[in-house]
Amino acid sequence: MTHPIQPAISDVPALFSIRNLHLSFPDRAHKPLLGPAPRIEVLKGISLDIPKGQITGIVGESGSGKSTFGRILVRLLDPDSGQVLFDGQDIGSLNETELRPLRRDLQMIFQDPMSSLNPRHKVSRIITQPMKRYGRGGTRADAIAALGKVGLPPEFAERYPHELSGGQRQRVGIARAIALEPRFILADEIVSGLDVSSQAQVLTLLGDLARDMGLTIAFISHDLSVIQYLCDNVVVLHHGVIVDQGPVQTVFDAPQSNITKSLLAAIPTPEIDEDWWAETESF
Amino acid sequence: MTSTHPTAQTLDIIKLNVRLANGRRLLRDVSLTLKPGEVRALVGESGAGKSMIGKAVLGILPNNLDISEGEIILEGAHLNAMTPSTRRKTVAKMSSLIPQDPLTALNPVRKIGPQITDPLIRIHGWSADRAMKRARDLLDRVHIRAPERVMASYPHELSGGMRQRILIAAAFAPSPRLIVADEPTTALDVTVQKQILKLIRELQRETGTAVLFVTHDMGVVAKISQQVTVLFAGRVMEDAPTQQVFEAPSHPYTQALIKATPTLNAVTKSFSPVPAELIAELHSDIAKIDAAYDAGDRA
Repeated sequence: MTHPIQPAISDVPALFSIRNLHLSFPDRAHKPLLGPAPRIEVLKGISLDIPKGQITGIVGESGSGKSTFGRILVRLLDPDSGQVLFDGQDIGSLNETELRPLRRDLQMIFQDPMSSLNPRHKVSRIITQPMKRYGRGGTRADAIAALGKVGLPPEFAERYPHELSGGQRQRVGIARAIALEPRFILADEIVSGLDVSSQAQVLTLLGDLARDMGLTIAFISHDLSVIQYLCDNVVVLHHGVIVDQGPVQTVFDAPQSNITKSLLAAIPTPEIDEDWWAETESF
Repeated sequence: MTSTHPTAQTLDIIKLNVRLANGRRLLRDVSLTLKPGEVRALVGESGAGKSMIGKAVLGILPNNLDISEGEIILEGAHLNAMTPSTRRKTVAKMSSLIPQDPLTALNPVRKIGPQITDPLIRIHGWSADRAMKRARDLLDRVHIRAPERVMASYPHELSGGMRQRILIAAAFAPSPRLIVADEPTTALDVTVQKQILKLIRELQRETGTAVLFVTHDMGVVAKISQQVTVLFAGRVMEDAPTQQVFEAPSHPYTQALIKATPTLNAVTKSFSPVPAELIAELHSDIAKIDAAYDAGDRA
């Protein structure tokens, strides 16, 4: 099932170059009474380039390692081994002090906006706090400008997260990330909690922002139909290994791996089609 | 005690209104029917009232909501005319729920087995042996290997997809006339979603159970249902056979919902949110309808 590693998925220069990345977690469920717990390998040697100024989709089923991989990119997790070159610098082995100047450049938009926005803070403070932290302004006007970019009116600055809908909260999460003018944004399943119409709004917005601001984004999703609209490139993960990658249309037109094929076949498209049921994997 | 209705429908909802204590309507004159063995999708965005319809039928809405207006007829029984305890028993005997979140729907401190067999014994009056056998058969039917071991497990020992299959088995176990499936696949990833949908479809066809399938995903609607009710702000926008809805959607809101659903068809590749102008227009229509309704109420 393993395919030859082809790190170059695009001829655009890479912002991230990942080489032979490994990560394992201790398996506490099977820890013997004495001695260390056995380890579960989550990422088994991933090599990949993430092109600058493009949106790269990272797809896979639950447990494929896609979120773990994303968290290494923004260095919320430390890899066991392998290189994570961010603009030529290996950030995989930097400690927290050395990482500090890079933190602003590596931003994240989270899956659940309710738990990633402080419920006691108004939207303006949520957006400006990190700006002040990194010395990038942080006035009320800055907050309103950031809200404007994500299509929210100025009065939203005075609201609390619980006063917003799911789609609006997710826009605030995007506003907070882009206000720092980061060089890389990780978006982890950011539309999976939204209904179709809010999903379409958030995706359209993110696509427009990426184009206008030249953002480099890694977009994690389990849904290939969403990837198709938003991303330039796609990487398919399965059990911690890359099984397919390339420009979105190439992968969709000629999927190399059975994993990609089954992910494609599982999408419930809004069309009447009895054949859709034909290929369903069993449990 | 129970008035009967000469009808061949499993479920008949006639002009159902659900209101807050202050009189604001959350469901507005909702009518729909469900034939035996049919799957009807209730589709709409968050807040459209789709889950509320299922909950109104099952009688699990919060107490502060007024559902006295309108009729809910389940297998000929007028639910709204019943005393609360008769209603509860009638509904429990004839219907089941497949909930959205398989984690919160299972009791974390009880083993799986009794959670499936309890209702069979208590509500349906089965013997413990018969209930155990049925639970085992159904778990086998939803492709759970080693049903015995799973029945002796606690929910936290099982994966999300497995727990959802257990809830499906539990819902189908008493062969109910009606199942309300409240976004049963929203929390799952696409490949597991497809497997779960297939299971529901197979079991539903085998047992002849009618299903009220609540979802926000027009893709799921296209695959699972024969009839569709499209809801917006607690009001039915369109009620039609699924085939017709996708081939020639008559309501602009239905068209917009379909356009907001991603497809893989590269030719018709278009994907856009429901236009804000359309939403505003629909809200203003509903405000007019509400004003007329309130005026009628006072008269």
